[in-house]
Amino acid sequence: MLNRTAEALFWIGRYMERAENHARLIDVYYHLQQDEFMSSIQLAENQHNDKWQRMVEALGSKASFEQAYGQYSEQTVLVYITLDRDNPNSLVSCISHARNNLRTLREQAPTELWEVLNSFYLWLREQSSDGLLKESPHQFLSQIKNWCHMFYGCMHSVMPRQNEWNFMECGRYLERAENTLRILNAVPRDITGGISGGSYLYLQAVLRSMSGYQAFRRIYADSISVERILEFVILGTSFPRSVHFAFHKLIEHIRSLELHDKQLKIAHDRIYRQISKLSAELDCIEIGDLTCERKDELTLSLLQSCSWIGNELGKTFFLVGEVSA
Amino acid sequence: MSTAKRKQSFVYDSQSFYDEMFDSYGGVRSHYQSIHSQFAQMSPANQAARSKALQQRMIEEGITFTLYRQNQSEPLERTIPFDYIPRVIAAKEWDVVDRGLRQRVQALNAFIHDIYHNQNIIKDGVIPRRLIVSNTYYRPEMVSLDVPGGVYITASGIDLIRDDKGEYFVLEDNLRSPSGFSYLFKGRALMRELFHDLYLKNSVVEIERSLNAFLSSLRSIAPNGKKDPVIALLSPGSYNSAYFEHTFLAQQMGIYLVEGRDLVYKDHKIYIRSLDGLRQVDVIYRRIDDDFLDPLAFNPNSMLGVPGLMNAYRAGNVAIANAPGTGVADDKAVYAYVPDMIRYYLHEEPILNNVPTYILDRKEDREYVLDHLSELVVKETSLSGGYGMLIGPAASEEEIAQFRQAIQENPSRYVAQKTMKLSTAPIMNDGVMAPRHIDLRGFVLKGTETHVIPGGLTRVALVEGSLVVNSSQGGGVKDTWVLK
Repeated sequence: MLNRTAEALFWIGRYMERAENHARLIDVYYHLQQDEFMSSIQLAENQHNDKWQRMVEALGSKASFEQAYGQYSEQTVLVYITLDRDNPNSLVSCISHARNNLRTLREQAPTELWEVLNSFYLWLREQSSDGLLKESPHQFLSQIKNWCHMFYGCMHSVMPRQNEWNFMECGRYLERAENTLRILNAVPRDITGGISGGSYLYLQAVLRSMSGYQAFRRIYADSISVERILEFVILGTSFPRSVHFAFHKLIEHIRSLELHDKQLKIAHDRIYRQISKLSAELDCIEIGDLTCERKDELTLSLLQSCSWIGNELGKTFFLVGEVSA
Repeated sequence: MSTAKRKQSFVYDSQSFYDEMFDSYGGVRSHYQSIHSQFAQMSPANQAARSKALQQRMIEEGITFTLYRQNQSEPLERTIPFDYIPRVIAAKEWDVVDRGLRQRVQALNAFIHDIYHNQNIIKDGVIPRRLIVSNTYYRPEMVSLDVPGGVYITASGIDLIRDDKGEYFVLEDNLRSPSGFSYLFKGRALMRELFHDLYLKNSVVEIERSLNAFLSSLRSIAPNGKKDPVIALLSPGSYNSAYFEHTFLAQQMGIYLVEGRDLVYKDHKIYIRSLDGLRQVDVIYRRIDDDFLDPLAFNPNSMLGVPGLMNAYRAGNVAIANAPGTGVADDKAVYAYVPDMIRYYLHEEPILNNVPTYILDRKEDREYVLDHLSELVVKETSLSGGYGMLIGPAASEEEIAQFRQAIQENPSRYVAQKTMKLSTAPIMNDGVMAPRHIDLRGFVLKGTETHVIPGGLTRVALVEGSLVVNSSQGGGVKDTWVLK
């Protein structure tokens, strides 16, 4: 496999995951019960847009949004995140990037996978912001999720479990860990904490965006607290969108890479050890540290780890530099 | 629609052009009989459904090309318009075209070899030296270099047209990196799938073998006769307008699809960077121009090529198809001399004629052209794609005057040709057959053996009366059937 191909596969995994995460997040933020939300944190109308600001932050696009639109409002944020081609992380950009990457390796990827992603892109390209804003965007966002599911489903049923597969999955799980962390990081830290606080409402929305609300309920029954939710979303071993789960999957796929080049094997062993170490550290977090107050510290350090992993993968497998003959 | 009216939808007056389907009395030519009657029997609903399915398949599979427009951030990606009435060529007729194409490419290949070696054709006074030294595509780097197998033109596309009597003429030789292969193969695959009844009723010569022949040609030029050569298609990348074709050919032939950054030069060899380390490449089928191949040898600003490639090539460690410098033979002024080349190198008479061309350096030619500008087409030799052209019958007096002056000032920059009455073939236009002008790109694949793809690619000007078949300007394609 060409180094460039490995990189393209990794980014397909990332962009598809990013698109799905964004769709989930917008859907839930949009439907955050306005009344409940407003009265609980007692915001005036002009502060209501705080919600949208938080969301843009959760997507890591604060600076570029403010430069392009200035004002946060439901309308501008929705358009920016979904159909704005100038936003490199909008849904349409993510899918277009993923498609362009798949295009460069069409001769190696299953035809069906291309056809799904291509159709997804063509459908998305036809969507207009008028149509999106006129009705509730819920239907549009559900369709995005469905397309993503179709893509994964197709991947699962037709792709050989070889390096191609592993690189795509590496991209996917690294992206997932990062997204979950960024979403947590954007949850406001309020002083009161507890059930009545703003953090709690946001965290509940976070759970919903990850389709984790029911799963959480089953495990923790009625003992809902900020700490419990953080524990579930960061450390949950069986919850597929938790940071813990994403890290473990990432390690699994890195380990499964089959390499023959001697030097590359050494580099591969090293990166595998280092990521395992990070994951072990995550496993050793004390439940007592998962408080609203210490949340930001933790998520920021984990986000740094993610970006470090991304760089290492790039240096090891993708960087087009001098390789020994 | 009544039967009488429906029947009417399947005839038209072909006016004064040669029509592929109808003779001058309005009768259906014998090799088109079966197709014509099958289309006439197909219900409009059936046709519409198939046409829709065809379009849908092309979109889903991403059989597209990309148009870059000024002032538009997003390039336009579109499917190539595909008309589903095949162009049919009778076996006897094709036999002549096939032999003519082989002959022409053989002579052109000999010409390129000669130009970069002894230049006998110049010494013998058949072609003026000026045409070579002033040629933009002449590559001094290629002088006295022996290319693998002596093959310069591995893949060529020779554009043919038919005049009002149905005679074939060569309009242009594309010898650098012609495109259109994927439309030809995909078009056939779609026709076989969606019009299988039509396809099965006619015994059509298969084109399956042609992809193998393409691969064999590339394999046969591997340096030192290497048995199992590593072959790569070098593409400018996914932003290139013909990227679909690059992925298609790489996939079908089972060769690597690479960009310049995937290749590395080391110890006079070229390697592919891969997760398994470096792998030596033996044959590069390039789809980028000479200028961009190697920033050390040609355009220093090229980001698309591989620094050192020409060194590896000159050391005989890698083959490049088509060889650098083949463009020297597809210049418009050189074109005029191809019939002479055939006589000179092969001692044969040309099987396919050139469109009658006037060389304006010759006094008698020039005088004739200046007297008949309103009837002729004048082309600037170094430009292509319809730039720098005068179409006499459609030009204003002012334009003609401008060209008259330009020719008088610098006659060697121009050639003039007779205006040809391009043949027509029917397309389906809202359920009604209508004539449109067409040409034919014949593909020749040359390794140690030569293969002509049966039928080639028929390009069609979809706008009524238009002569422009180029896909960027409203042209489309048709499947081309050679009957057994």
